[in-house]
Amino acid sequence: MNLEEYKSVFAVTVLGLILVTAFPTVSLVLPFPRSEERFSELWLLGSDHMAEGYPFNVRGGELQGPIYVGVCNHMGCPQYYVVYVKLRNQTQPLPNATVSEPSPLSPLYEFQFSLADGETWETPVSFIVEDVSFEGNSSFVAGISINDYVFSVDLFSSWDSQQNGFYYQLFFEVWLYSGDLQVFQFHDRFVGIWLNMTRT
Amino acid sequence: MDEVSGLRAVAVLFVLFALVSSVFVSCIKGSDAEDVALSAIASAESAMGLAYDAVLEAEKAGANVSGLLDALNEGAEALSKAYISNRVGNFDNAIYFADLCGDLIGGVEAEANELRDAAAVDRNQRLLLTSFGSVLAVVCIFCGGFFGWRFFKSRYHRRALKMKPEVASNES
Repeated sequence: MNLEEYKSVFAVTVLGLILVTAFPTVSLVLPFPRSEERFSELWLLGSDHMAEGYPFNVRGGELQGPIYVGVCNHMGCPQYYVVYVKLRNQTQPLPNATVSEPSPLSPLYEFQFSLADGETWETPVSFIVEDVSFEGNSSFVAGISINDYVFSVDLFSSWDSQQNGFYYQLFFEVWLYSGDLQVFQFHDRFVGIWLNMTRT
Repeated sequence: MDEVSGLRAVAVLFVLFALVSSVFVSCIKGSDAEDVALSAIASAESAMGLAYDAVLEAEKAGANVSGLLDALNEGAEALSKAYISNRVGNFDNAIYFADLCGDLIGGVEAEANELRDAAAVDRNQRLLLTSFGSVLAVVCIFCGGFFGWRFFKSRYHRRALKMKPEVASNES
């Protein structure tokens, strides 16, 4: 190597060392954007804490569950959540996650909680379908008790001849608090279980 | 005979009035309780929103907010119960839980603001120290590079001068 080549190597080495020593200061001043995807997990597990053993054939007055609903925050900062519990029959609308529309049904039970980034929340949910009656090809549910709170629902369901049952769905929607708007907004996630109402 | 029937009519009217007024009073009372519950819930919800925003700001400033999140969770649980109690028509419980929520998160916003300010001061000090360290290191590297290069260059020249020219034989 001649002197000019040595000079280039020297200059590059010194420049590299300067960049390395300046990096801590630069990183404090300039925010580096995070590249990972931001989302929230939502799950529903059966009584054995597995994705099986969910209540299905339900009789009026019988205690069901517990089932476990859980949320994990991967949004990159603390989040304030609410999980709404709703009950519907087959004709009532589900949430539409593709257009960020929650189900228009009123929530029954709800869970509010805040989670740090990467933190997980899970809670048991037990329920009793109250005052179930049948008439011809229809069933009627007057109320449901969720975690010892009794809600009046007044829902009808017609006999489903394809699936052979009177079906209702208990589902859970996740909403996220928006600091800008100061309201909860539907977070495009929901899970649910089908309940087949059976005669005692 | 007329006096007796008149008294009867008055008695019937009195009983009817008592019944109607009791129903009316209970309706008004129920409506009042619901209004008070809704107002308490709205107030607790607003306090929760402000507390959450303050905690988020503190976290962004680099403060450790795990204790504040625990307090927020206690408040959030009470607020959930207030909403649920309101839905099932238990307005006294709704008011109780909404007030409890307010009590539980009462100091969160102020504490979060303190933590945010402390974190900002800490961050500025850290920035100052790091900048000073970086500038010092850059100056050292620059000076070291400059003098190192001069030393290397003079050594290179000395070596070059000591080199003897090679004599090639001419056999042709």
